[in-house]
This record gives sequence, C-alpha cells and structure tokens, in this order.
Amino acid sequence: MSANDWLTIALAKGRILPPTLELLERAGIGCGRLREKTRKLVFSLDEVKLRFIMAKPADIPTYVEYGTADLGIVGKDILLEEERELYELLDLKLGYCRLVVAQKIGSGPFAGGYVATKYPRSTERHFQQRGKQFEVIKLHGSIELAPLLNLADVIVDLVSTGRTLKDNNLEEVETVAHVTSRLVANPGSYQVKGARVAWLVGVLEKAVDSEVTLC
Amino acid sequence: MNEKARRLLIPDGVRDLLPGFAGPKREMENRIQEVFGRWGYREVATPAFEYSAVFDGDANGEQEGKVYRFLDERGRTMALRPDFTSPLARVAVTHLSNEPKPLRLCYGGNVYRHASGQQGRQREMAQAGVELIGSGCAGSDAEIIALAVDVLRALKLDDFTLCLGHVGFLQAVLDAHGVTGIAGERINHFFNRKDFVSLKELSSELQLPAFSRESILRLPTLRGGREVLAEADVLLPPGTDRGSLATLDEIWQVLEDYGVSRFITFDLGLVRALDYYTGMVFEGYTGGLGFPLCGGGRYDRLLGHFGQNSPAVGFAINTDHLLLVQQRLKKLPPSPALLFAAYNEKARAEAIARAQELRDSGLAVIIDTKARASGEARDEAGQRGASLLLYFDESGCSQTDLAGEASSDVCQ
Repeated sequence: MSANDWLTIALAKGRILPPTLELLERAGIGCGRLREKTRKLVFSLDEVKLRFIMAKPADIPTYVEYGTADLGIVGKDILLEEERELYELLDLKLGYCRLVVAQKIGSGPFAGGYVATKYPRSTERHFQQRGKQFEVIKLHGSIELAPLLNLADVIVDLVSTGRTLKDNNLEEVETVAHVTSRLVANPGSYQVKGARVAWLVGVLEKAVDSEVTLC
Repeated sequence: MNEKARRLLIPDGVRDLLPGFAGPKREMENRIQEVFGRWGYREVATPAFEYSAVFDGDANGEQEGKVYRFLDERGRTMALRPDFTSPLARVAVTHLSNEPKPLRLCYGGNVYRHASGQQGRQREMAQAGVELIGSGCAGSDAEIIALAVDVLRALKLDDFTLCLGHVGFLQAVLDAHGVTGIAGERINHFFNRKDFVSLKELSSELQLPAFSRESILRLPTLRGGREVLAEADVLLPPGTDRGSLATLDEIWQVLEDYGVSRFITFDLGLVRALDYYTGMVFEGYTGGLGFPLCGGGRYDRLLGHFGQNSPAVGFAINTDHLLLVQQRLKKLPPSPALLFAAYNEKARAEAIARAQELRDSGLAVIIDTKARASGEARDEAGQRGASLLLYFDESGCSQTDLAGEASSDVCQ
C-alpha cells in the first residue's frame, strides 16, 4: 500500500500558478522549487510525498478523471465547461472572476441571436435555462471582437475587473457563474487514498480561511 | 458525413474488443459467474430489450432520459435495458414467485444508456451482478458486500476499497434539522456528486442554524473504520432515528466474521440515488480509476412496482472497468501458446489426426490450409504467431521451436 502515500496534484500553468503556490506554502507545503524557471513539468516533494504536474488549465480535469493525477487545482469555468465526474472538495477562493454575458453598450435586452464564446457548453446551459433562442459561435480568443464586428450579438466570457469590456465599448448584462479555483479529486483516489486526501483538504482549508480573515 | 462514409466507423460510446481483450474479458466474466455460483446464486438471462414500463421504478429513474427507447412494429414503447435489476425483479415476481424466499439470482450482459454530451462515457457497458430477493436483514446486506469482495479478490485485485454508507443516515440528519423538499433533494444531489463546494454554498443560502449547518457539512467528512459510527452518533440530535447506524454496525460485525472488514471504509456521505435505495449502499474503488468498479445496495421498494412487496439487496460490477484496471495492472492473462501443424502433399491426414489429438488434450493448434514445403511452412507458422511448428511428411513429424523456449515433444 506504500504507493498510496503519494498524492499527485495537477496544477494550472500561467496566471493562476503564483497565487496557487502561495496558498500551498501557507498550507505548509514548501513548493518553492516549482517557481524555478525551468521547462520541467513534474516535481516531487519527497518530504510530504506530493508530486506536482504542470498542465494547461483545460487539461486538468482530464488528468484527474483518468487518474494520472489524484487531485487537481482548476478554475470553476473549466469544470463547468468540461462536465467531468470529479469530486469538488474545496473552494480555494483564488483567481476570482466571473463568467458573464456582455454586449455593446446600449444595445437593449438580448432577445436571442448569435453568442460568441470560448465556453460553448456553459453558454448553451445558460441560455437554454432562460428559454432564449440562440446560436453559439465558438472562438478561441479576443471574444470582445465579435460584437464589434457584428459576428455575434452578445458574448459569454470571463471578466475580472471589467476593464477589457469597457475598453471595447461592451457592458456586462448577466452573470453566468462566479469563478474561483477549486480542488477537485478523482473519485477512486478520494476513496482509496482517503486519509491523505483528508489531510490535504484540511491544511488547504486552513490556509484559505486564514487568507480570508486577513482581507 | 454521408452514410457510406460511416460504414467503417462505430458510434461514440461503443467499442470493438479485439483479440487480446475479448478473450480475457470473457474469461473474467466466467470467473465472476463462477464465484456467484459458488455462493449459491443461480444465473438468469433476460432480453436485451423489453417493455419500457418495466423500468419505470428503476434506479435509472435517477438518470432519467438515459434509457434508449423505441417503438416496435405495433407502436408499443420498448426500452433497451439500462440495468438488470428491474428485469430480475420482474422475473422474481412472475416466473419465480412460488419459489421459497430468499431468492439468490445472478446475471451478466450488456446494458445501454444514453451518454450524450459526456466525454468518454460508454453507451454500452458490460455488467455482472447478483440480487438477493426476499431478505431484509443485515446478514443479507453483509453477504452481498462479502460476495463483492470475494469476486474482486478472485480477479486478483487487492488494492481496492469498498465504501459503505446508508441512505437513511442523511435522511435522518435532514429530518432532524427540518430540511425538506427541494432543499433536501439538492443537498442529496450534492452529496451524491461529492460537490462539497456547492454544499457549503447551499447551506449558507438556506440560513440554517449553526448547529444544523455544522452537522450537515461534517457528514461527508465522516470516513474511516468502525469508529466513524460513534462520531456520527454525535451529529444526530437526541431522539432522532439511529436505525441506520445500528444497521451499519451490525453489517460490520458480520463482515468481521467473513474476515473482510479490512476492505471496508465507512463513508456516511455516500448516498447514491436516494429515491431508489432504501438502506445500505456501497461502491468499490481502486486507486486512480475515476469510476466505481462495482456498486450496489438495498432497494426494498422496487419489487412493489411489480405488485409484490419484498425486500431486496444486490450489486453490479462493471466488467469493462475491471478489464481496464487489469490492463493497467498488466494482469490480463497472456494468450495461450499456439501450435502450427503444416504438412506436405502426402501427410495431410497424419497432420490433421495428430493436431486433433493435441486439441483434444487442450492445446491450441492451427492446421495449415494447404500443403507446403517445410521452409515455407516455417515462415507461415511465424506469421501466425505460433510458438511451435509441427511439420508432417513421409518421414513422420518434426518439431521446430519458434519462441526460443525449450518445449516438450508433442509430435508423439
């Protein structure tokens, strides 16, 4: 059962990595080595028997679902979009932003039409529940362009400060979801490595709560 | 894509099992049925499709919209079976209604469910399972769990955990705190998915008293050995029904006698489909595999749908998932050694006779389809993946080893 002592955790590369590492450190997991500028994608911390995989955010649910990683830290936007059967153990309250519907300023209520987004499934769910007629146009970036160039009537995209929207003469009209980073688990790992997972949830939960009181 | 282009494809969610998998899978299924048989369970086979109404009270009510339905030529609604439990309940109250209870029945075969929009989900899945119908005691709950352990061990798995819970426990907690209706259903749903984040959000939203909130949120964290039952006791306000905890304790004691309690982890947050299960529920997991290997529980209301109230308990094992695990652990049995019998124009009869003798003795032998020279026969045998070539000509039989292992003389 010795292999059961190790936990593999998939972390998202990019914007969300520094605050994630800070949180892990506050939880007593010294992961300074992960900050080094290397191309390495796998790190082992022997002292605490943790292994970290660096992955593209959208791939994290896949790594966790297939058990390559026992756990993952990933944004709720991706969880909503991927619809995997993972256990969502903890809200890490990192990287807060919102998935919103936005449109050109002053264009009146959206009655239906074309929606440009990187998040087709979340978008479909949102508008279906509201009984709107719509068609999704999937884009991979610069979503704000779509209404300006009349490719779409509205967009569904992530916003944190709202700055990009404003700069492009867009305004937010509805919130689809509130997004933060979540700790997710592979159901098999959650059950078979129960004690280790409970330990990690415990230390992270404390670290999250201490952060909140500081604010 | 036009129809013609689809000729070479198969739809998502179904698959072809190729040599090297189909055989081991069948062998695994045979081994599972063998274990069921040794516990006194008798196999029944039911049709792949039957009247849709049979599945009305099914666990897959939980997965409503996942049943494949179609109309037959007389306009009647049919359903491809989404599981075996309802068909077996139907068999129990019709053909077998006069047999003394409890009935011990087992089955194996494919089930079908819609899996639209979900990546990597199978629409055709192989299952094997048992139902113990007509007994409501903890001993029969324990029998089902011990049998599940026995099956997994017969398949040479040892790194697995069976999580054991009871739907009555969550229900008692919710009742005690006066959480009913939609709120209760949502809490159950989040428990089922182990979505602790939404659970926490919902509990603040509901503005429950601190004590209730604490007790509902602590629940899913209660996991471990028998000590968990005592911890759980504290979460229930005085005067609440503690029947579920007593039942779990009783099951545990029986499992101790079976010598399998070390495979059990209590997980009081495990609820599965609350409107279907009525007592203990369990799921089997192995490391890294994101879906349960097996699962089951007590469903005392189902037979009522077929007009005969009777307690029942059962479990099903997903043989496709098991195959995946065996493959990962490299525990798939190797294909048996293959012999190749070739011959020249004069010796076909001898070759066929000897090859058949060897087949009768249990070996796998391919008989060549035409006469060849011995050199050519050797190439042919190699291409067929044979480990041994038997070549027959006027001078008799000669044996050539192709796998580089010393083998006994099979010519004679």
